[in-house]
Amino acid sequence: MRLLKKAGNTIQILSFPDEDVEKGGYLIIEDRKAQKALIAQVIDIQFANVPGVMEELLRQPAAEDSTSGEDVDPLDIMSHILYIQDARLLVCKIYGTVTENGLGLENSWLPSRTHSRISRLPTESLVELAKIAKGRPISLGTTQESSPILIDASELDGKLNLITGKKGTGKSHLSKLLVLGLVEHGATVVVLDLNGEYINLGLTADGQENEYCNRVHVLSPGKNFKATLYQTDLFVIIRMLTYALDLPGTSAREFQHIWQFLQEKGMLTLHELGEAIKRWQCNQHVRDAMFSRYYTLVHSGFFTDNMAEAVNLEGLLRKTDSNGGGAVIINLSDTSPTDRQMVVEYVLAKLQEILSQWKIRAAFLFAEEAHLYLRETYWDDIVTRMRHFGLFTTFITNQPNTIHENIYRQADNIFMLNFVNEHDLEIVSKAARVDAETAVSLVRDLPAHHCLVLGKVVKDFPIIARIRSLNIKTMGQTRFFWNTSQ
Amino acid sequence: MSLNSMQSIKGKHFQPYEAEFPSFVAERPISSDPIRLHGNAFSTLLTPLEPIKDGSTVIGIDVSSIRVGETETGSICAIRGAIVWNEKQHYQYVRLGPFPFHVTEMNRPEAPGGPRLDASSGHNVGLLTPVETQNHLCSLVERWIRAGVSFASSRSIILWDGSLTAGMPGNPVSAISHILRVARRNSNSVLAFSKATTIRFLGWRITDLAPNQKPPCLLEVENLPLSISRTASLLGRIFAAKLAEGGYSFRLDIDRALSREDCITAVERLLGNELMFQGYPETLRLAHIYSTFTANDVLGIQSFLAAEYGLKVVPRCNIRKTLFGPFGTGYED
Repeated sequence: MRLLKKAGNTIQILSFPDEDVEKGGYLIIEDRKAQKALIAQVIDIQFANVPGVMEELLRQPAAEDSTSGEDVDPLDIMSHILYIQDARLLVCKIYGTVTENGLGLENSWLPSRTHSRISRLPTESLVELAKIAKGRPISLGTTQESSPILIDASELDGKLNLITGKKGTGKSHLSKLLVLGLVEHGATVVVLDLNGEYINLGLTADGQENEYCNRVHVLSPGKNFKATLYQTDLFVIIRMLTYALDLPGTSAREFQHIWQFLQEKGMLTLHELGEAIKRWQCNQHVRDAMFSRYYTLVHSGFFTDNMAEAVNLEGLLRKTDSNGGGAVIINLSDTSPTDRQMVVEYVLAKLQEILSQWKIRAAFLFAEEAHLYLRETYWDDIVTRMRHFGLFTTFITNQPNTIHENIYRQADNIFMLNFVNEHDLEIVSKAARVDAETAVSLVRDLPAHHCLVLGKVVKDFPIIARIRSLNIKTMGQTRFFWNTSQ
Repeated sequence: MSLNSMQSIKGKHFQPYEAEFPSFVAERPISSDPIRLHGNAFSTLLTPLEPIKDGSTVIGIDVSSIRVGETETGSICAIRGAIVWNEKQHYQYVRLGPFPFHVTEMNRPEAPGGPRLDASSGHNVGLLTPVETQNHLCSLVERWIRAGVSFASSRSIILWDGSLTAGMPGNPVSAISHILRVARRNSNSVLAFSKATTIRFLGWRITDLAPNQKPPCLLEVENLPLSISRTASLLGRIFAAKLAEGGYSFRLDIDRALSREDCITAVERLLGNELMFQGYPETLRLAHIYSTFTANDVLGIQSFLAAEYGLKVVPRCNIRKTLFGPFGTGYED
């Protein structure tokens, strides 16, 4: 390999066909005289602009052509000609410099073209060099060179994360892997499970209980996840009415008075709430507005007056936290869009309340396709406020345009799976943890179940990982009409 | 011969020539002032042609050479030949080479007239120049291929690039005559096409003598008083051939030992069994394309030399650029 050109943090390297280099791999450019080495990642492999190649190709007979022939080349010079013809140009991005003091981010120096030695830097060595995965390791799978790749769970702690990729590339699978990895290290994880994909995290592929069985709690709203009005704070119910059920401000204020009245009387039940709205002295339109929302609350099945069937979410989370971690799966698969929003408002408000009172240390929230249930103002809350309360969110989506741009800019870690759509690529390229060229070039060619990991978990060295399989019962697969295995 | 010449270069320094070829070399403007001749002055010399489709094989031969670099003691050139044959509209080719040659003072052939010592330098100035030596080697390889084809084929039309003029350095009359004899013995007809000719009649180039004649036709210039070097031996009957509508006229030499009728029949068989591109045979066009060196070939040969003979590549100093900087334009020899 030969150093050809450097412009900014982009470097071009001339490589020959027998040099084993692949897109996403790392190279080390050692300048022994300068006693420094650049670390660069190959983001694109192109044909080198070898003079005369056009003429060579034009005179080579095409297979369907009526011309055929052979070369009598006793000195085997043709192999040298073909070797040069297949020379490649590696477009690389510089990510750091190795000096005698260790790895640094400096990339402004220019290595010598003549004295530099360029070689592959196995990802395993890069991981070692950059001290990736020290502390609490989560095994993601393998690198492009088939060596194991681990990330440090601590680098997800206190961070905003994003998992994105087109449909069917393995986003949910990766998300489950991270959930179980965090649980293994004692974290409390709450999953907003839109399609019921996480409900079998406690079972092996053949349906047996696995080691996580007792640490995975599945809550299905209206079934095993109900709440009494007593468990629900006024600010929680007002949020639900305002954001999920669009109750106007005037009506919300009247509702607040009714709630406080019933609370003082010790009569905070669904039945008494209905009766109070009926009797309350107020404008008929306000009453109608409150009544329609009241009936929605009742018919959601989420609220109950029966204390025995109500779930103590706070207690469950505290127990999970104190018992060495676990995952609480909120199964939203059978809930209507309105009920889903109500439940999410309830869960998030509860989490915020519990965390702000330091009843649990912190929680990791995994939100699948969050645009379907998160209210507009919540996106900013997540970036600005929630992390201070100790709620660290991971968004999972196959529609990158549904995630707000500031999430891309502020995300600490991004796990990108394959995208080919130009529009999607343009959106994900806004991620601040990597330059747009790298993101677009590498993500476009990722095979299924391969992920480009960006951000703090990989110390800002973009790494391509093949995500390992999990021995859990899968639920997120597409159901087919025809059984193709028959 | 190639290997013998290369024995002496192991471990030497090597200055490769630039692999980028100047593009303007091939593009010379065509004269916008065509020569026009009036009347039917040459109508009696014109022979209209009727293609004969008899399934004859048409074989084209061409050889190219190129200089690839310099060593302390000489220069290195490479030669490659191509044979293309058209059998029932299916074209096949064999490429021979490239063969590198190390041309030095020690192995350069002598120029006609023999060795002469320059009194001041003590050098033998009676040797061919490196460029002449390269052409000489090229002719040698070309003769070798032509001889092989003449021997191995029968009842074919064999097309050479150039003329059937012998007696120049590297083109001995005896060798060319021998090849033509072998070809005739195998019932082959040898035709040589020249893309450019210097032969003139009363100042007119022979290919411009009959511009308005309907092709395909031959203009027999054999009996005209032509401007031809006296030292050259013409082993072919000379024609101006216009073989396709809208195509160019070419000088065509046909083996002189064939009768006039056989010469015309040979051209008619060529027309009946070969594609003509701009009036030029496709096999010969392909033979040129397959033998010619591209910049990529030159890089490959330079890489071979460095790898095989351990040549230490040193950049070639461009004195013009060094002296004149951006004003050092013009391509070097």
